Amino acid sequence: MQLNKSTTPLRLGLMAASCALLGAPVARSQVAPDGEQPLLIDTGLLYYKEDQGRVQTIEPIVNLKKNYGDDHVLGVTLTFDSLTGGSPNGAIPSRKAQTFATPSGTSLQPVSGVPQTYTTPSGQVVALLAKVTLYSVNPGQLPLDPNFHDRRIAADASWSQPMGLDTHASISGHLSNELDFNSAAVNGALSRDFNGKNTTVSGGFNLELDRINPIGGAPVGGTDYIQLLKGGNKSKNLVGGLFGVTQVMSRRWVSQVNYTYDTSKGYLTDPYKIISVVDTTGASTGYRFENRPNTRTRQSVYVGNKVYLGGEVLDLSYRRGSDNWGIKSNTVDGRLRIDLGNDVYIEPHARWYRQAAADFYHLYLNQADALPTYMSADQRLAEFRATTFGLKLGIGFDGNNELSLRIEEYQQKAAQTSSSLANLQGLNLNPGLKSAIVQIGWRYEY
Amino acid sequence: MSLLRLVGLTAAAVSLFGITGCSAIGVKPWQRELLAKKEMALDANPLDAAIDDHVYFSKEAASGGRGFGGGGCGCN
Repeated sequence: MQLNKSTTPLRLGLMAASCALLGAPVARSQVAPDGEQPLLIDTGLLYYKEDQGRVQTIEPIVNLKKNYGDDHVLGVTLTFDSLTGGSPNGAIPSRKAQTFATPSGTSLQPVSGVPQTYTTPSGQVVALLAKVTLYSVNPGQLPLDPNFHDRRIAADASWSQPMGLDTHASISGHLSNELDFNSAAVNGALSRDFNGKNTTVSGGFNLELDRINPIGGAPVGGTDYIQLLKGGNKSKNLVGGLFGVTQVMSRRWVSQVNYTYDTSKGYLTDPYKIISVVDTTGASTGYRFENRPNTRTRQSVYVGNKVYLGGEVLDLSYRRGSDNWGIKSNTVDGRLRIDLGNDVYIEPHARWYRQAAADFYHLYLNQADALPTYMSADQRLAEFRATTFGLKLGIGFDGNNELSLRIEEYQQKAAQTSSSLANLQGLNLNPGLKSAIVQIGWRYEY
Repeated sequence: MSLLRLVGLTAAAVSLFGITGCSAIGVKPWQRELLAKKEMALDANPLDAAIDDHVYFSKEAASGGRGFGGGGCGCN
């Protein structure tokens, strides 16, 4: 007999998720799953690989949750990422071979006779050095920086506990380090139950501070790539909030609605992205460093559902997002867990995503046009559709162990892939993306 | 979608929950045996969700919804 009220798996799950700031759920449901787990170890190993020699990632992740009784739960998550492969630099394919500098390069110009610093029209003094490493891209090929690599170490910690009979509180922190990026964040949430614990209202906040230390320096946005004007380190911050309602709809159905709002300020430009400049025939005449606004406000409405279908469990969600960059998105995500007996289950997964382009997205710039203030050819800001199809296999054993294997394919198809300009006809200017996701998991409950 | 429309949509959904949640929907404590199953938790697989959110955050312009769509990563 256990004297202390043990934390339910649901709340343990809440803690794990609130540890990870990416997609951390705040709202919780008043559903009390069976079983008690004073300690839960949840581990995963992700292998992510894009086609055509692009980015690949290996990511081990470990999550520990310790229940100290009466719903007082500590959660710790450790994550390690290792990324290699080719990353699109933003330029479009060309009929001729193209040459670029790696981010560590700081000038394409000869050493002699070049000033070592440069003052921009706004008065900023930037470095103009001569060390450079070049890479070439064959005609018709999407320019990829073949030297892309990074590694990330992240640690999350969280604490959750009741605040009276019907109120629950949680707080969590995050620290991460990359070769060119450091991040610290804190978030907190309060939730309260109503209607016989059938309704839960939640609210939370999130504060994130990031330091960006681009390899080779942060380019001066919008400047001519040939000059490789670089500045010092940059920073940005994000302040966000979430309001959510979770409702038990019936014996078989629980639903959740969230509204999120956040504002980012600071250096929101990708320091490694450029944009092609072409003449009236489509021939490349040069490149510009991309330049994004230094503020961004996002909001989203998310509706999630769990439905018990006579043995199978359907997880179906919809998300509508928008921001002041003009990007609107729709996401539908569905999973169906099918119990095969003997603690074995499979879970097919399908996801559809569609987004509009940012207002300042351009596939390329026309040399004859006036130079816009903000510009980016980052494919992640383009209009595109994406799909994910996958299958997960889970095998339970010894009553408290579960091994799982998840295999998925993710594919992006851009809306704009061609141009009518003579030198660009027949070229696929945004070939999209296809990637494989393989995840092995092991979960152990004491 | 404008801010007002998004807020309105959320408010409408919340109101629907609030109005109907008091009477027509919901269950008694002894009717929760199916809802109490681990796989019925809204976040039954938080590790999967965290990995998915990280992948999509690095490849798409939108993120979050289930929770905060923050960052903690220089990948986007």
